[in-house]
Amino acid sequence: MITLTSLANGLCRLLMSTILFMVAGCAVTPNSGDVEAVAEFVQVNDPFEPTNRSIFEANRALDGAVLKPAATAYKMVAPEFIQTRVSNILSNLRSPVIFANDVLQGEFKRAALTFLRFFINSTIGVGGMNDMATAMEIEGHDEDFGQTLAVWGVSEGPFVMLPVFGPSNPRDTVGMVVDFFTDPLRLWASNSERNYVPFLRAGVDAVDIRSRNLETLDDLEKSSLDFYAAIRSLYRQRRADAISNGQGAAAVPAPGLGQLPGVPTLEAADELSRRK
Amino acid sequence: MLKRRGFLAAISGVALLVMSAASPVLASKLEDKSSAFITSLTEKAISSLTAENADRNQRIKLFRAMFNENFAVRSIGKFVLGRYWNRASEEERREYQALFEDLMIVSYVDRFTQYAGEKLRVQKARGENETTATIFTLIERPGGAKAIRVNWRVGTNGTIFKVLDVIVEGTSMSITLKSDFASIIRRKGGKVAGLIEELRTKTAELKAK
Repeated sequence: MITLTSLANGLCRLLMSTILFMVAGCAVTPNSGDVEAVAEFVQVNDPFEPTNRSIFEANRALDGAVLKPAATAYKMVAPEFIQTRVSNILSNLRSPVIFANDVLQGEFKRAALTFLRFFINSTIGVGGMNDMATAMEIEGHDEDFGQTLAVWGVSEGPFVMLPVFGPSNPRDTVGMVVDFFTDPLRLWASNSERNYVPFLRAGVDAVDIRSRNLETLDDLEKSSLDFYAAIRSLYRQRRADAISNGQGAAAVPAPGLGQLPGVPTLEAADELSRRK
Repeated sequence: MLKRRGFLAAISGVALLVMSAASPVLASKLEDKSSAFITSLTEKAISSLTAENADRNQRIKLFRAMFNENFAVRSIGKFVLGRYWNRASEEERREYQALFEDLMIVSYVDRFTQYAGEKLRVQKARGENETTATIFTLIERPGGAKAIRVNWRVGTNGTIFKVLDVIVEGTSMSITLKSDFASIIRRKGGKVAGLIEELRTKTAELKAK
């Protein structure tokens, strides 16, 4: 386990230095005299921000030209019945990867549930079309190798905006690559000369995910002042949530009545019931 | 026999005393009250803000009243501004808070029209300290779409309850806003005035819709 962790850490570092080499534009480090500004710079952890922002703009242009129209059309044209089945098939196909990562994280109960879901949905769910397992109250969850690395203690590293793939970091990028190469479906496809399968699946997957996030992303873009900063924050929070399997809410700061770190506290100004 | 009964009664008496003195009893009160607060808040919001016939200005008015009554708007606003709160002048703070409230109102008011028929199910409640609880809920949507995971952070001073944060699928509203605003301020040379200017433009743009 230790060697695997150090191997993964090494991979992350290699990737980081590659990125560093590629990146011309780096964010300006604040004056070391301004302690708060330095703390903020470290916390934002986005040393390649200028480059990341230009990649983000390119990704948005690509999204606006290809993915968003495709997802919008799919959502409009395909009946909801079909959309649900497509979504179910895709998530059933992810099961082997989820199972492997459950095991690698030592989550044997969750691994058993993933296995059971895959078995039920592939058989009586007819090739994953119908999510019979959820109907039987065996709820699904997601895992990936980026999360496994996090559980093993690999830190995320700086924020990175990948071309096409979007927000990430060295740890999750390594995770994505490992998941791709170890996916049994891909191995089967490449061994049986069906090399188009992973691409077809990635395409359908992208359209499916995008179609389910149309409103969310439009809303975020509408209400945020700096869409890039909002996406960066959203990505980190979602990953932290995924790594903690949805149990991490307390560790997150919020506005407050208490002294929870990073949590809003109820201030005197709000203690009067305000009516206008 | 009698003696034994007396002994049992004494034991159960002591047990009861110990139990009522232990904090879980108090904590569960905070958790129960916070859960009840969220349940009634969402029921009220969904029934009054999804009314189809109300025009947008009317809905905005209604939403503003509900938002101020049930959300710790000033506390959230102050938290979102983070370290820049101390740098802002009294005047800037006042204008920022007003604009922050406006931004929340105009960006969220139209969303409620899509929430008709949705149901909130409280899954569990967890006390974070004596005055704060997190309520874990699932919002179930009609038509079998996947339920949305929403956690509510509720603060109380003992009598009133207010929402401090809404965490949708792991994404905290306050933290996302905080990063967004901090980034704008940094890009405006560390000036809160720069953020206020952007907020003015954004709210005006959203109001016009």
